[in-house]
Amino acid sequence: MPTFAIDLISNTYSNTDVSFPHLHVATAFSAHYGVSRPAALAAAAAADGADALACTDRDGLYGAVKHLGACREHGLDPVLGADLLLYGPGSERALGRVLVLAAGGTAGAGYAALCRLVSAAHARGGPPGVDPGQIADHAGPAGPSGPVLTVLLGPASDVGQEFAARRYRAGRAALARWRSRLPAEALAVEVVSHLAAPGTAGSTSRAARMLRAALEAGLTPVLTNAVRYATPAEAATADVLDAARALTPLEALGAPGRPGVGGAADRRAPPAEPLQPNGQGWLKPARQMRSLAAEIARAADLGAAGAEALLAGTRQVADRCRLDPVADCGWGRPVVPEAAVLGLDRPAPVELRSRCETGLARRYPGRRAGPAVRSRLERELRVIEDLGFASYFLTVAEVSAMIGAMGVRHAARGSGVSSLVNYLLDVSQVDPLEHGLVFERFLSGDRSTLPDIDIDVESAQRLRVYRRILDRFGPERVSLMSMQNTYRARGAVRDAGLALGLDPGTVDAAAKQLWHLPASGLRETLARRPELRDFAEQVAREKQLDLLVDLTERLDRLPRHISMHPCGVILGDRTLLDRTPVQTGGAGMPMSQFDKHDMDPMGMLKLDILGVRMQSALAHAVEEVARVHPGRPRLDLEAVPVDDEATFELIRSTHTLGCFQIESPGQRELIGKMAPTSFGDLIVDISLFRPGPMHSDMVRPYLEHRHGWSRPLPVHPRLDPILAETHGVTVFHEQVLRILDTFTGCGLARADELRRRLGSERQLEVETFFRERARAQDYPLDVVDRVWAVLAAFGSFGFCKAHGAAFAVPTYQSAWLKTHHPEAFLAGLWEHDPGMYPKRLLVGEARRMGIPVLPVDVNRSDEHYRVERLEEDPGRLGVRLALTGIHGVSRAEVRRIVAGRPYASLADLRQRARPARRTLERLAAVGALDGLLHRSGGTASRADLVHALRARADRERPPRAAGAREVPGQLALDLGDLELRGLPAERPEPTVEEKVRTELDLLAVDVSAHLLDSWAPLLRELGVTPAERLLELRNRSEVLVAGVRVSTMTPPLRSGRRVVFVSLDDGTGAVDCAFFPDAQERTGRHLFGTRLLLVRGRTRRTGPRGISLSAERAWDLADPATPAAVRAPAR
Amino acid sequence: MGFLTESVEVDCGADGVPVAVHWRGRGYRVAQEPVRWYERRAWWAEDARLPADRGTGAVDQQMWRIQVQLTVRSELLTLELAHTLDTGRWRLLAATSPSGAQVVRCA
Repeated sequence: MPTFAIDLISNTYSNTDVSFPHLHVATAFSAHYGVSRPAALAAAAAADGADALACTDRDGLYGAVKHLGACREHGLDPVLGADLLLYGPGSERALGRVLVLAAGGTAGAGYAALCRLVSAAHARGGPPGVDPGQIADHAGPAGPSGPVLTVLLGPASDVGQEFAARRYRAGRAALARWRSRLPAEALAVEVVSHLAAPGTAGSTSRAARMLRAALEAGLTPVLTNAVRYATPAEAATADVLDAARALTPLEALGAPGRPGVGGAADRRAPPAEPLQPNGQGWLKPARQMRSLAAEIARAADLGAAGAEALLAGTRQVADRCRLDPVADCGWGRPVVPEAAVLGLDRPAPVELRSRCETGLARRYPGRRAGPAVRSRLERELRVIEDLGFASYFLTVAEVSAMIGAMGVRHAARGSGVSSLVNYLLDVSQVDPLEHGLVFERFLSGDRSTLPDIDIDVESAQRLRVYRRILDRFGPERVSLMSMQNTYRARGAVRDAGLALGLDPGTVDAAAKQLWHLPASGLRETLARRPELRDFAEQVAREKQLDLLVDLTERLDRLPRHISMHPCGVILGDRTLLDRTPVQTGGAGMPMSQFDKHDMDPMGMLKLDILGVRMQSALAHAVEEVARVHPGRPRLDLEAVPVDDEATFELIRSTHTLGCFQIESPGQRELIGKMAPTSFGDLIVDISLFRPGPMHSDMVRPYLEHRHGWSRPLPVHPRLDPILAETHGVTVFHEQVLRILDTFTGCGLARADELRRRLGSERQLEVETFFRERARAQDYPLDVVDRVWAVLAAFGSFGFCKAHGAAFAVPTYQSAWLKTHHPEAFLAGLWEHDPGMYPKRLLVGEARRMGIPVLPVDVNRSDEHYRVERLEEDPGRLGVRLALTGIHGVSRAEVRRIVAGRPYASLADLRQRARPARRTLERLAAVGALDGLLHRSGGTASRADLVHALRARADRERPPRAAGAREVPGQLALDLGDLELRGLPAERPEPTVEEKVRTELDLLAVDVSAHLLDSWAPLLRELGVTPAERLLELRNRSEVLVAGVRVSTMTPPLRSGRRVVFVSLDDGTGAVDCAFFPDAQERTGRHLFGTRLLLVRGRTRRTGPRGISLSAERAWDLADPATPAAVRAPAR
Repeated sequence: MGFLTESVEVDCGADGVPVAVHWRGRGYRVAQEPVRWYERRAWWAEDARLPADRGTGAVDQQMWRIQVQLTVRSELLTLELAHTLDTGRWRLLAATSPSGAQVVRCA
């Protein structure tokens, strides 16, 4: 036995110290690997008396911020690290994995080095990983405080693998190589025993070998349990994750001698790892870890001294790596871009004030900026200066101005709209004073976290905006935020099914029915939902499905992968990449490994720059208006008056398909009842149509008071004016704040704190406070009672009026465009598809409005949906469908076709646009070549042309002589210009029905006729009522309606019962059918899946212009058995 | 591992380590320090349910290799035992005599 000195390890460990610091812990944020969330792990560690705990996720710091938070909560010192793939020096070959921990007490140098090392691992290309040289570079030269990273060489490392295979010489050489790159204090040997069968991976005998190797080499041994889950019960979940990661069923993955099977290639993962040997990788308590140390030391023939060395080494490394979240990671310290990068040559507060003054002159020309505006501005500026947020506002203003300069539509959204400063800086377009918006709802002296200012931009320009921000502030200051995508029922069933090796068809069929359900409580959901009845019966029959349901529930909410957040842009100073690791996100842009929950704790300034399709649609519409009316001054949507009577007429008609926020069946019903007459009404409408108000019967009193059917009870002269704008109902947060402030004198900032507690378990505190303070203000008891009743009734369901006002702007703008430029508006909708309905429903809307939808034509269509003057009547406008809408035609082909227009003949088209043969066939099928066909003077029909082109496309390509290359255009020679005229006329023109089918297949819209037209005889026979005739019927008439499903929603409803709204389109309009639980029961699986529906129900008047259907039952119209079923007498 | 295993009764010390085994009507005492490890079960094939609140035992079973003898002077038998953690059941997988002859091989 070689001699080595155990006393090399400074013996700080004593038996009285009963805690054990776990230094190798993957959290659930190690996707497809870890099982437990940081909070659960920290709670378990704290309960066992630990004083430090590490979070060492795979490939990144995904769970790090949550870990810091959890450790703060549980009084633990956090340790952060990453479990990284190790590449050979300068090679693409993976050698194994190593654990890298950040050293603490380095004023953040350790944490920064860890962030940058992780970023470097992802910048490498291929599976993220690092080589030893990179680790050494980031660990830094041994300065006064020593290296700032600690590398743990464990069983998965190059060193560990050599010793596992009993290649002692190679193992020692590998250790020596590490030793030559890094000082001894930056290295430790990780000893892990999962108590696996003797001699196998995870066994104590292998751990003993590592312990001896560490001591022989004079390196610190560290005991970890390579933790993946907090409790033993979660081990099976880890098995399922292993199978999902390897895309291999458990049976195959767990089969002895078959490690590394499976097709992991498409997940860019390194070779699949075998299943864990057993379920011992949990956060074992200190007592068990100590006996583990003893067991390993015994196996290494090192006795008690060996165990002590191992535990002392663990503690020593833990002590080196304890982090102070504030000093090391910048916890809670807001960071904004430097003044210099904003181009400021004076202090930010001075600059902000001066820009606001300029804004005053612009927003309130003349002397309109009265004392109210002045004092509001002073109040806001004081709060902003006190919080030190001046440069934050300037940053947002800079970004907003930049977007404007790009010519991209943008609008502020969210509570930031409450700020006059934002209005003056041109960030927001809504005057907060005009609408009574309260600044304190957005920001107050009591809040030290950075406020949210959200900016909506055109969706089609979003990435361009992000790139511009990246260029402007520099890649060292900008990163996109990420989001954690978690398991829901559908994905969980798929992965659990894969793990169990179930038949993919069965799993797929099950998964398809579980759209948008949480995976937890799946068993209960199955029992309750009628549309899942078939699946529930199958589960009861088949044992494996039973297990599948259990595993699905286990996966619920576990993070699966991260992706780019749809709108978060992180802006920092030049130290941003010291504080967050980044990897490549969508569109090749840098993406932080932190999500939105991590922003505030880490003091990160996040701008929500959300791509909104409606903004793109509006931009396209404005563009089209300018194109067809070149003489007119350019339309400025921001400048159109907000009191246009024709626009409100359209809104009240409820023909609001396509309009922002007010096109859903529920909203159309609400505006039908409400009959809005002003912009303020739109704000109320949007604020009312939310879960809280709809659940809590706020709408009924509002409508009754509004229409004068009843009057709000006067409560108190100081309350009534606050609620006047909403007819005595508390709709807005702003009203709640004013009521609290008025009756308690608490100030608006405090009032916002109180408001947040309404409806929570802390409401009682608010009530106590309110009663005491209101009584102290000498309000009589009955007034206090009644005002409190008003607050308690709806106070918690209110909506921030600033949000409502911000939303109402595009709502009004879209309705205005639909009123005055409906063709351009439709073109915008088709171009960007902003709404909830399929494009084909808008064809029906165009038909209803008498706007011709012009077919695709190679000589007239281009890449965009265009407004076009009608050939036969240039005074009228239509919308020309775009070539890009044809399924299976590539962007490049479209671009070539557009570039070569006009075409004189088919040969010309073929020669210059070089479309694929199938493309040509598709163009002919949708009628895009009809123009050429008719112009040729031939007598052939569209069917003849399609037939001829299909025959060509089906034919084998002619064999080419070696070396001879097909020259573009050569093919045209054998056909010549006479091609179309010479086409034999053998087939009749396709029937309307055939055309519709082709259009739906290739364009996803039925232009020639409505999809339902071919069912007309059957519908007549069954006595089905068309949508447009429903208004003529009495309330509660029993009817049959039929149509194509255009939307399915389960909106918030007053009763809290689940109601499913299915909207059908029958070509004459849309019918909204409400399915209550009984009807859901009778309808079963057709509720969600079936496309063509026949519905029996009773009419339900919703307003002077509104009618909907209360469904009793629905059938599949396309099912041959349906007519008989419908004719059968109802139960 | 299934039908062919034999149930045995095991007495354990306070630390959970076996000290005596009752097998086929006879009592054996444990002669040497036993070896213990954990092996995985193919739970996906063996279990019908796996609710999240099931405690221990879904993945692991405890395995023991112990040397026993009837009296101090009788020959040593090596037993391989599986201990199912959630039911507490002990099963004999194999028994081997000092000559290396397998006395019993289950499973």
